Amino acid sequence: MKKFTLDELRRCDGTNGRPALIAYKGKVYDVTGSFLWQEGRHQVLHSAGADLTDAMADAPHGDDLMERVPVVGALIDD
Amino acid sequence: MARVAREMVEKAGVNVDQLIELLVKNAAAELTTYYYYTILRMNLIGLKGEGVKEIAETARIEDRNHFEALIPRIYELGGELPADMKAFHDMSACPPASLPKDPTDPMAVLKVLVEAERCAVRGYTQVCNMTVGKDHRTYELAVAILNEEIEHESWFSEFLGEGPSGHFLRRGDTSPFVGKFLQ
Repeated sequence: MKKFTLDELRRCDGTNGRPALIAYKGKVYDVTGSFLWQEGRHQVLHSAGADLTDAMADAPHGDDLMERVPVVGALIDD
Repeated sequence: MARVAREMVEKAGVNVDQLIELLVKNAAAELTTYYYYTILRMNLIGLKGEGVKEIAETARIEDRNHFEALIPRIYELGGELPADMKAFHDMSACPPASLPKDPTDPMAVLKVLVEAERCAVRGYTQVCNMTVGKDHRTYELAVAILNEEIEHESWFSEFLGEGPSGHFLRRGDTSPFVGKFLQ
């Protein structure tokens, strides 16, 4: 499984044809094909290329929805 | 635009541009859902399908009402709808409620319906959370819509056998919660 640093993750922000990746609890998810992550943005408030672990607490959904998107790697310390 | 109304919301600490974008995305979800539910409803036939058709129709009409109720608030806050209908469709807060692979399977249609309602429940919960105690008018509207979306979810969920929720079908007019915003 590919390992991503936070810097590498930041570059995968879903804009300009780049993949849209997000991190959650140490795993990296590919949301590029998700209707809800077009252009790397999710419901106005969130952007791809970020670790959204802390944001889940305020989200109107649980982490069960993460099971719908593929895991493509793990987030490691820089 | 209702200039002072917008100023009051900004002064309360709401990012109004973000809020407007969310409202437009949810309005897009309502109108596209109205469209897709039309197709789903047409395919709810047969002994099982006909039993679901009536609530699908009620949800369809109420989702259109939600669209109608949202638009004045978007413009009051200084927002607008995109001029391009396709762009409006594509910016929806929820994925298209497309016909399932087997449109003759009422359970598959119900799963599409319940997923659409669950997306809406999440979306309006987010709007409520952003506006509670800060933007009273948007909050009241979002709560009204949320009440109806939760009932829609419950109806479809019950048909899927996920357990009782205690909600009856509509008696009388549609949109008992949102109706006052449609006067």
